Amino acid sequence: MQALEPGIVFWILAVVILVSGFLVVTLRNMFHCALCLILCLFAVAGIYVLLEAEFLAAAQVLIYVGAVAILIVFTVMLTSDLASESLIQHNENGTIAFVVCALFAIGVPYLIKNTGVWMPAKGELISDNVGSIGKYLMTDFMLPFELVSVLLLAALIGAIVLARKERS
Amino acid sequence: MGDEVVALEYEKMIDFTSASINFELIYSEISLLVAAFLILLTAFQRHLARLAPLVALVGIAVSFYFALQQWGNQMSGFFGMITCDDFGTAFKLLFLVVAALTLLIAHRFLIVKRIGSPEFYALLLVSTMGMMVMANTTDLLVMFLGLEIMSVPLYVMAGYARRSLASNEAGIKYFIMGAFASAFLLLGIAFVFGASGTTDLRQIVADYSFIVSNFQNYLYAGAALILIGFGFKIAAVPFHAWVPDVYQGAPTPVTAFFSVGPKAAGFAVMLRVFLFGFEQMGMLTELFWVLAVLTMTVGNVLALRQDNVKRMLAYSSIAHAGYILVALCVGGNDAISAAVFYLLAYAMFNLGAFAVIVLLETRSGCKSDFSELSGLSSSAPYLSAVLALFMFALAGFPPTVGFLGKFYIFSAAIKSGYILLTVIGVMNSFLSVYYYLRIVKTSYFEKFEGTFAPAPYSPAIMVVLFITVIGTLGLGFFPDRVLEFSQSALFAFL
Repeated sequence: MQALEPGIVFWILAVVILVSGFLVVTLRNMFHCALCLILCLFAVAGIYVLLEAEFLAAAQVLIYVGAVAILIVFTVMLTSDLASESLIQHNENGTIAFVVCALFAIGVPYLIKNTGVWMPAKGELISDNVGSIGKYLMTDFMLPFELVSVLLLAALIGAIVLARKERS
Repeated sequence: MGDEVVALEYEKMIDFTSASINFELIYSEISLLVAAFLILLTAFQRHLARLAPLVALVGIAVSFYFALQQWGNQMSGFFGMITCDDFGTAFKLLFLVVAALTLLIAHRFLIVKRIGSPEFYALLLVSTMGMMVMANTTDLLVMFLGLEIMSVPLYVMAGYARRSLASNEAGIKYFIMGAFASAFLLLGIAFVFGASGTTDLRQIVADYSFIVSNFQNYLYAGAALILIGFGFKIAAVPFHAWVPDVYQGAPTPVTAFFSVGPKAAGFAVMLRVFLFGFEQMGMLTELFWVLAVLTMTVGNVLALRQDNVKRMLAYSSIAHAGYILVALCVGGNDAISAAVFYLLAYAMFNLGAFAVIVLLETRSGCKSDFSELSGLSSSAPYLSAVLALFMFALAGFPPTVGFLGKFYIFSAAIKSGYILLTVIGVMNSFLSVYYYLRIVKTSYFEKFEGTFAPAPYSPAIMVVLFITVIGTLGLGFFPDRVLEFSQSALFAFL
């Protein structure tokens, strides 16, 4: 195991995340915003790879890039005129939002800097990501795993109820 | 190395079949889910679809039976993810009663308004199951999942009347605010996990001094974010902005469910998290003091100037959340018992009040404005008497259970020396008398105008009115028994 020194790859990814994230909330074309979001999510997956969490990276790409972002792109394309319209990405609460976000952006690094001792991870580092996640899902986290499927079922029923044609 | 892994897995395999899973702890949740699945199956056959409410009622009854079986048990299962104690079981029973009453209130309303479909009952059951999960765990992760299972069906139910613009607005508003609150909650849980390395409150309590000495800031930041997340669900005051629109816009039976079910679930979780998990944390008392005073006062003051009964009840539900927050501020066994009792009592008279509103709204064109109630006593004397009883209970008059609920909470507060808080609470109670009695005044002393036709009674709603009236008066007449019931419902693992 190497020590966690942020290397050049980390800095590239960080810049990509910040710039693309900034573009998502400033660009005036909603389609371009969606594309920037995809780039941002990809770069986050890169960070996970750097941290040797391959499964998390794959899940990030599959779920966020593969499903969520594509869904957003489809919504933009299927909603009439949404893609061609130019957005106004600020509102009257912008100042308050900026202050809160700035506080958060300063506060969290401050918290991290001022923590004396970090608790070491329990047990040894896991080399087999997928295997151990699978094992946990079938043992300790069996109930949460099943509950997630109930949650998905509820969302499915809800979506069908809201989207189906009204019976006359 | 290979053998070790196999041995470890074998150990877990043994766990799988032995007592640490404890399937019987979630029998009541499972029976609700099975009923929901059956209802979804009936949706394929139009003549079977009529059976949906019946299937739901049977499911609730079976679930109630299994929950009763657990009474007195103190067990943990699913590798510590599910905790069965009397506190959780009491809330389980409460949720099931609320779900059954909501179902009976909704049945006729949905048919008359032509928005009924079997899926409504399935969503109601799944949502109730989520609440039961929330109340029966000490694990923050499972709490979050329970909260989401509860909320997702609620978003859909709020927007169930799709032809009504107000209902659409309610659904969207509730969804966006709810998702926002979930984000806060999840971030808070992540902070707490970062500080303690666990999501289990029992582990946090055990390691508390170590966590605080090393990661105090994270723990406090996490607790604050969790408080914001739950604050949205129970509609505490800086986080209440969504309440009036959602309560007014949603179909009225759904509003009835909103005002009681999720609120009770939110308080169940808050009692566990803040009076058990973070009990030793400083500043919580002051924080809840401010929250309680704000919630009581803002709710009551804004309720004074409403002209719509549903909107008035929305603000009144905020105010009632404030009274229960007093118990959270006070802490200790007395206050916890009082909070559980209050939630039970509030479920009774608030569901009753909403049942009356639903009866009135079942007529076409009724917007449940105050003026529409005028002269109710001459055209429907029994109904207006029942409505008046519920208003007296909401205002906290003896001998109704509303008085006792407030009495227990405020006497627990006085015992612990929160005199100023009690004075503010009692003054708020007096303030609330004005707008509750305004309904009584309108229905009894204002002349009948307009074209009010007696509301169409249905057996289901008669049952609801009967149960809620008995609850409102009966719980008040026999306080000892009920209080004992909730006093044994304390934290098993404390």
